[in-house]
Amino acid sequence: MADAIVVQKLRKQFGDLVAVDGISFQVTQGEIFSLLGPNGAGKSTTISMISTLLEPNSGEISVMGCSVRKDPMAVKAAIGVVPQEIAIYPDLSAQENLVFWGKMYGLRGDTLNRRVKDILEVIGLTDRQKGRSEHFSGGMKRRLNIGIALMHQPQVVIMDEPTVGIDPQSRRNILDGVKELNRQGMTVLYTTHYMEEAQELSDHIAIMDHGKVIACGTYPELIKIVGELDRVDLGLSVDPNLGIESLGKVDGVAKVSLEDGKISFLVQDSNLVLPRLFETASRNSFRITSVEIKEPNLEAVFLHLTGRALRD
Amino acid sequence: MKLSTLILKDLRRAFLNPFGLSMMFVAPLLITGLIALAFGGMGGEDAQVSIQATRLVVANLDPGSAQAGFSAGQLLTDFLMDESVSNLVQVTSMDDAEAAKAAVLGGEQGAALIIPADFTTALISDKSSTLHLYHDPTLTIGAGIVRSLIAQFVDGFSGTRIASDVTISQFSGRGLPVDEGLHHQVAQEYTAWVTSMGEQGSGQDPIGLTIRTPADTEPVENPIQGIMARIMAGMMIFFAFWTGANSALSILREDEEATLPRLFTTPTSRQTILGAKMIVCALTVAIEVVVLLVLSSLLFRIEWGSPASIALASVGLVVITAGFGVFLISFLKSSRQAGGVMGGALTMLGMLGGLFTEGIQNIPAAFKTLNLVTPHGWALKAWNASLGPGVGPDLLLAFAVLVGLGALFFALGARKFSRRFA
Repeated sequence: MADAIVVQKLRKQFGDLVAVDGISFQVTQGEIFSLLGPNGAGKSTTISMISTLLEPNSGEISVMGCSVRKDPMAVKAAIGVVPQEIAIYPDLSAQENLVFWGKMYGLRGDTLNRRVKDILEVIGLTDRQKGRSEHFSGGMKRRLNIGIALMHQPQVVIMDEPTVGIDPQSRRNILDGVKELNRQGMTVLYTTHYMEEAQELSDHIAIMDHGKVIACGTYPELIKIVGELDRVDLGLSVDPNLGIESLGKVDGVAKVSLEDGKISFLVQDSNLVLPRLFETASRNSFRITSVEIKEPNLEAVFLHLTGRALRD
Repeated sequence: MKLSTLILKDLRRAFLNPFGLSMMFVAPLLITGLIALAFGGMGGEDAQVSIQATRLVVANLDPGSAQAGFSAGQLLTDFLMDESVSNLVQVTSMDDAEAAKAAVLGGEQGAALIIPADFTTALISDKSSTLHLYHDPTLTIGAGIVRSLIAQFVDGFSGTRIASDVTISQFSGRGLPVDEGLHHQVAQEYTAWVTSMGEQGSGQDPIGLTIRTPADTEPVENPIQGIMARIMAGMMIFFAFWTGANSALSILREDEEATLPRLFTTPTSRQTILGAKMIVCALTVAIEVVVLLVLSSLLFRIEWGSPASIALASVGLVVITAGFGVFLISFLKSSRQAGGVMGGALTMLGMLGGLFTEGIQNIPAAFKTLNLVTPHGWALKAWNASLGPGVGPDLLLAFAVLVGLGALFFALGARKFSRRFA
């Protein structure tokens, strides 16, 4: 399969802050490719450069064979962008929003009317098409936000954290919708800081941190980075900050971090390391109140690569 | 095609916004309407705007001239006490000037006219004399009416003197005898002629005051309308500047709503997207001005100037408000700053520009000059000039300044926005 998006040595700097630091990756046509990373990792800046909103300081981007720098209009025609914010006109109805955005992509007449009808069905707003979108629920607005990007049947859909701030049911609908789009042959570039979403959706995942791609590959390929390490989460009877130093020095602990009030460890063998952790806790006069042993996942990969939890 | 789609979308949003609509149309008409009501009513088809008669006390110190055989002071007093002007002034007389002034200070009288002792002498000779009119400072219209009546009376006397001088000059030139009796004869005949002309010209109408709207050559019965036109023009200018800025503000609002960046991801050039915004600024103000002109004509019976002068003033107003709006808003970082800027800066500029003092008399000349430091002042100048007959040089000058300034502001603002969203 040919590449839908090729990013080479891309760099973007805002004053002294290097937001994107020479990253490279390829997205193959027909796949779902996720950029995973914490807030501030550079995902949205990367997306903005691919969707022609920001000009890179250096590097090259091509979308469906067209250079973003040399032929931005061709790139814009090939992509549909779902911004992180809900970018709709609240005082217009769902139908009026779709008509307007369709026209901005050059749709007219019967084609436009047909697409509006189709998209309203896809996003489940046919019954509410005449209502002003400001009265919609958060999930309905999110669906309209996505529908707008699909109006012109783009070859590549770029979605920037489309599930931020919505209820679990709407989130499920969106994730299913993304899979359906992909089944229809659309290439999807998806950014998220939820590792579960990246894990569920993606053919390939690039993990970003501090403007760099620190790992890229399929899910199994990324898990291999952690190797045979186990992940152990401990709850303590005291402030976890008090225990992290002593417990982190226990023999067999590869990485340690704080997450959601618990201490996360990457350990070589949980059967061997756990008794040592209990012994150290006892020696330091605090109790372990909960123990959770997990299979390695993307969270563990991120912890392994950065020494921090994904949500830090 | 995309340009028209963008323009229609923005116009639609602008005219769906209740707050925007109320500021564009309701506020200027409401304020002008309240002022009209304060003056005594608004004109329906047959309605008249009535002015409460000004209470005037006259202290006539002029004993008259034995040589001339009359007292101009007494004639003026009689003229002001005439039945025909009783709907405008209610006159009482006093002998003491200080008592007359005290009556105004005490609020018993609206105005006091002091006729000096040398009034008759001055009128029949080349000397000057000063009439003193003291009035309640809140009585702007009433004082203006009294002034007009006095001016009309004095003009009549000046006419007599001119007629007399011309006659005597012609008599002397032909070597005919000139004596004191000739002066009297000329004066009497001139007065009789003026009186007969006045009676013929006005039919059943009272003698004295006729007030015309500046645009009209025909006298109108409603003296408020000329003032109303100026007040309405001031309100229209103020709110047109608000609309211009508010329209330009949609650029920042769309940026914050994320629809502007999203527009930039569509295959549409940034120049088209931002250009449409600028066009919408001008179109919105143009629609506002046309609607306000029509509605104010219907509601307040304001007779605006000639079509050509109104067109020039309107185009000037549209260009300056759209240009200034884009310029002003280009300095803002976010729409949250707009409240202070639009409420504070535009109000201050409006005040400096004289928009809220229009219709008040005795404004110092320095303030009138200061008005022209602001674009509002030039807009007001254009509209006031447009109320005069035809397209005069004042209107052409103001129009040129408005278009020039508007284009300059527009270019600076558009450049700033283009750089910001480059």
